Amino acid sequence: MTALDRVDARFEPGTFTAVMGPSGSGKSTLLHCAAGLDRLSGGEVVIDGVPVGGLTERALTRLRRARVGFVFQSFNLVPALTAAQNVALPLRLAGRRPEPGAVTTVLAEVGLAGREEHRPSELSGGQQQRVAIARALVSRPAVLFADEPTGALDAASGTAVLRLLREAVDRHRQTIVMVTHDPLAAATADRVLFLADGRVFDELPGAAGAERIALHIAHAQHTVVTR
Amino acid sequence: MSAAWAMVRHRFASFAGTFVAVFLGVAVVAGSAALHLSSQPQAPARYDLAPVLITPPDPGTGDDRDRRSWTPAQATALATRLAELEGVTAAVPDPWFYVQRLESGRPTGDAQAALLDGHAWSSAALGGYRLTDGRAPTAPGEVVIGTGKDPREITTAIAAPDGKGSGSTTGPGQERAGGSTTDPGQERAGGRTTGSGQEQADGSTTGPGQGRADGGTNSAQAGNGDATTGASRSGDTPEARRSENGGSTSVRGEWQAAVAAGSVTVLTSAGPEEWRVTGTVDGPGFYVADREAARRASGVRVIGLTVSGDPQRVTDAAAAVVAAEGVVRAGAERDALEPNSVTRIRWIGAQLLIALVTLGAFATVFVVSSTCALSAAQRRRELGLLRAVGATPGQVRRMMYAETALIALIAGLLGAPAGMTAAPLLAGPMVSNGLEPAGFTVTWQPAALGGAVLLGLIVALGGVTAAARRASRIAPLDALREASADPRSMTPTRWVVGVLCGIGGGVLLAAMPSLPLETRSSAGLGAAMLLLSGAALLSPVLIVPLVRVVARPWRDTATGMLVREGTLTGVRRVASTAAPVLATVGLTVLLAGTVATIEVAAGIDETARYPAGNVLVPDGTPGLSAAAVTAQGAEPAFTTRLLITHGDMTAGRDATGRGDSLVLDRLSAAELGVRAGDGVTVRFADGAEARLPVQAVADETSVPQELVRRHDPDALTSMIMLDREAVPVPGAQSVAIHEFVMAEIDEEGRLIDLFLLALIGLSAGYTAIAVGNTLLMATAARHGEFRALRLAGAGTGQVLRVVAAEALLAVAAGAVLGGLVAVVSLAGVRAAVEDEIGRDIDLVLPWGATAAVTTACAALAVLAAAFPILRGRRSDS
Repeated sequence: MTALDRVDARFEPGTFTAVMGPSGSGKSTLLHCAAGLDRLSGGEVVIDGVPVGGLTERALTRLRRARVGFVFQSFNLVPALTAAQNVALPLRLAGRRPEPGAVTTVLAEVGLAGREEHRPSELSGGQQQRVAIARALVSRPAVLFADEPTGALDAASGTAVLRLLREAVDRHRQTIVMVTHDPLAAATADRVLFLADGRVFDELPGAAGAERIALHIAHAQHTVVTR
Repeated sequence: MSAAWAMVRHRFASFAGTFVAVFLGVAVVAGSAALHLSSQPQAPARYDLAPVLITPPDPGTGDDRDRRSWTPAQATALATRLAELEGVTAAVPDPWFYVQRLESGRPTGDAQAALLDGHAWSSAALGGYRLTDGRAPTAPGEVVIGTGKDPREITTAIAAPDGKGSGSTTGPGQERAGGSTTDPGQERAGGRTTGSGQEQADGSTTGPGQGRADGGTNSAQAGNGDATTGASRSGDTPEARRSENGGSTSVRGEWQAAVAAGSVTVLTSAGPEEWRVTGTVDGPGFYVADREAARRASGVRVIGLTVSGDPQRVTDAAAAVVAAEGVVRAGAERDALEPNSVTRIRWIGAQLLIALVTLGAFATVFVVSSTCALSAAQRRRELGLLRAVGATPGQVRRMMYAETALIALIAGLLGAPAGMTAAPLLAGPMVSNGLEPAGFTVTWQPAALGGAVLLGLIVALGGVTAAARRASRIAPLDALREASADPRSMTPTRWVVGVLCGIGGGVLLAAMPSLPLETRSSAGLGAAMLLLSGAALLSPVLIVPLVRVVARPWRDTATGMLVREGTLTGVRRVASTAAPVLATVGLTVLLAGTVATIEVAAGIDETARYPAGNVLVPDGTPGLSAAAVTAQGAEPAFTTRLLITHGDMTAGRDATGRGDSLVLDRLSAAELGVRAGDGVTVRFADGAEARLPVQAVADETSVPQELVRRHDPDALTSMIMLDREAVPVPGAQSVAIHEFVMAEIDEEGRLIDLFLLALIGLSAGYTAIAVGNTLLMATAARHGEFRALRLAGAGTGQVLRVVAAEALLAVAAGAVLGGLVAVVSLAGVRAAVEDEIGRDIDLVLPWGATAAVTTACAALAVLAAAFPILRGRRSDS
């Protein structure tokens, strides 16, 4: 089975790209491959100028640790660790000591000042996702991948999370690639890629608005069904 | 890594199995090691005032019985030269001989200790014993009797009723030294057949390590020389102890009666004698005139020096004088003079302790590895997440190691002191069961403490290796997968190792008939261990068809369906419950079955070896006196020890005094390269040498009786066949052959049963931990599943039934597999034994022990599985 077929996508530094498509269109696979979490059977992934193909598992992990941030739909915080420890985890895994105040600063940026010592079970879903974003941003990665970051959140928390991502792009020139099926979420991006059957079949600027994006998706689904 | 600590703190429940296993393992190891290290040889109290002791040179046969004696003349000459050294106040040869007090015709005291209760009066000085009354003995038939007991013996007489005489050194030919460390398993298996009571008949016994053929006629021996038989041979039997008990309680009153009467009746190697009491001494034993002692003793084996100056200077000077004529022992080296009978008791205890340590370590590895594997499988998502946020495979592996090391260290630091604290409590039972000598106390052993903690750490890290390697291969994307379907239950490695174990075991079992006799029982055990390991490794595969068959009758009920499907989809979980049950049930069936089967075989074999009738055997004595034998109109068949040299080969052998020429057993002949007609040099118990022609090579070694009489005057006869009604004599009794043999076997059985109980108990304990922990963890992790069941309309009762039935199914599968494997191996062992003794024997299956172990496993499994459900119910509502 081919999950991705002849996809050629480039994510420029400092841009916010949303990837949309119906279930099974390969958008998550695209994200995993681009992030170096999954291996390609053919073709190449280049992250921040480094071709991923020939790397060992260890080298790949190191590359990911240094250049890639990841935010999951289901937060995926380590339940045993506090918010601050979760945020510092990638740095510690890299053998680096977080600069004094760095963790607190990042947590403050995501609006969680004072929650450093809370464990995931003591935080709401939105708060947990913000910890996850702080964790992804703390190592100042070249690119941040977000897989349905608002999928498990209520509308208000979702909006807050999207605003955070947008701010990261505008303020820190953070590159972000986000998979979503929510047209509202996609509308916060600079660019929206549409995927179907493992191929990119269209793109829109985010500024086109949620409504046009939604229409596009409906059209895409229609195309898939009628083909 | 600090993450490791956070993980441990957060999920202590999943580490509980590791913790308990390591705690128990370290406690067992620390306790056993402390007991073992505390049990160090000690020089007899009889030499307390002799800081320097000289013994004859060691001929290098590796057997203490072969340390030759000086002849009385040599000893006197050497002592004279030593006495002239500066700082030496006296150089006293210490000949000893067998004396046992008779009270109303009954021998008293410990039979083995009596072998060295007779002393020369001058040797009393070596222990600092002084005359408390009367005068020293001067003429034959005069004796000074000991009124004191060995101080060590007195303390132990309080602690344990069976205080062993301090001074039981070897009587020539009586001693069966135990020195070689045999595989404990092998020893148990072989133990029953090993010629119990045979040496009494043929007088040629084997030391361990010399193997079965040494005995020549001991055709039924299945294993190597072993500890368990050694115990009963040494006279450390309840019987011996009972008679000793009688003796020690009466000792005090008795000497007063003897002093009052002016005479005492004793039993010596010659027979009952009446001695005139000329005085009393404040040490233990019987003291006769020096010349008299030299006549009765079989040479001299110790010269003691009492010194006035620096013992070190005396030691050096003595070494120069003695040169090649002996070995000078000072300080700790004196402890080598501990009587062999005492050393052997320590050795038997050491076997049990070594077995416990080995089993404890293995079981800990087993439990730790299964716990870690299960917990790694349960934490798949969490570990994948760590990988996703940037942990390299190496870091995941190191984190698993760090977690386990942390747990093992905490468990070890708590477990070692616990084991150390428990060790002294075991000292008493070990002494009363003949596993440690009387007076044994546990001392503070920091090495045992540190070593156990370290071993716990190593063992735990060994156990986590496989799980850590597997965990490090978890892909980052596993963090994203919600479904926790059972991951592959069989890895390629598991397949390969499992199949190899199975094939290896099968081949070994098939090859058994062609193996040499003496390696068969160990081969059988090895095969069984391989088959058990193979079955445990392949259990996920084997369990599926087994479960289908067993669950068939209930397939139409809801519970039956749930249990069946739950088991078949959770094969890994079921396998980790079944594997420890498999190992324990297999081990129980195998060990207990082997022992029971061989016991029956040994009984048949022993009785078949002797014709119907009666035998005259020692009764509370270490052997039959010459008078006891001649009273029956029979010729004594003294047991003596010979050192035989041919060319540059030397071998120590037990021999019977019989016939009029030297006959060599086949093994010795082969070992020495001797054929009938060759001449050999024979050194006798008293140190004298003679050149004798070998007249024949036969089943056992024998030497002319006249030579034994002359060179080993202290020799006793083990037993004789009776061809008529026995004439009653002191220290001997007539028993039916069958009865005698069975009594010997029962006596051995007592020790073997003790070993079995300890080993099976320990492995069952570990199984309990493994099963309980697996089920606790697994059921707790299936919380969501049971919740769904309840939402679908199942009551708590039904959920409990499902869980209990699953647990029982797993235990049943393990028990059936383990039982089958063990029965197959047992059949192989039986075939080997049948082949060996040349007749059919029954396969005895230990139903009782197996049922007990299985029931215990089942009860525990149900409890452990039900507990999380009952607890979860409260939090759910």
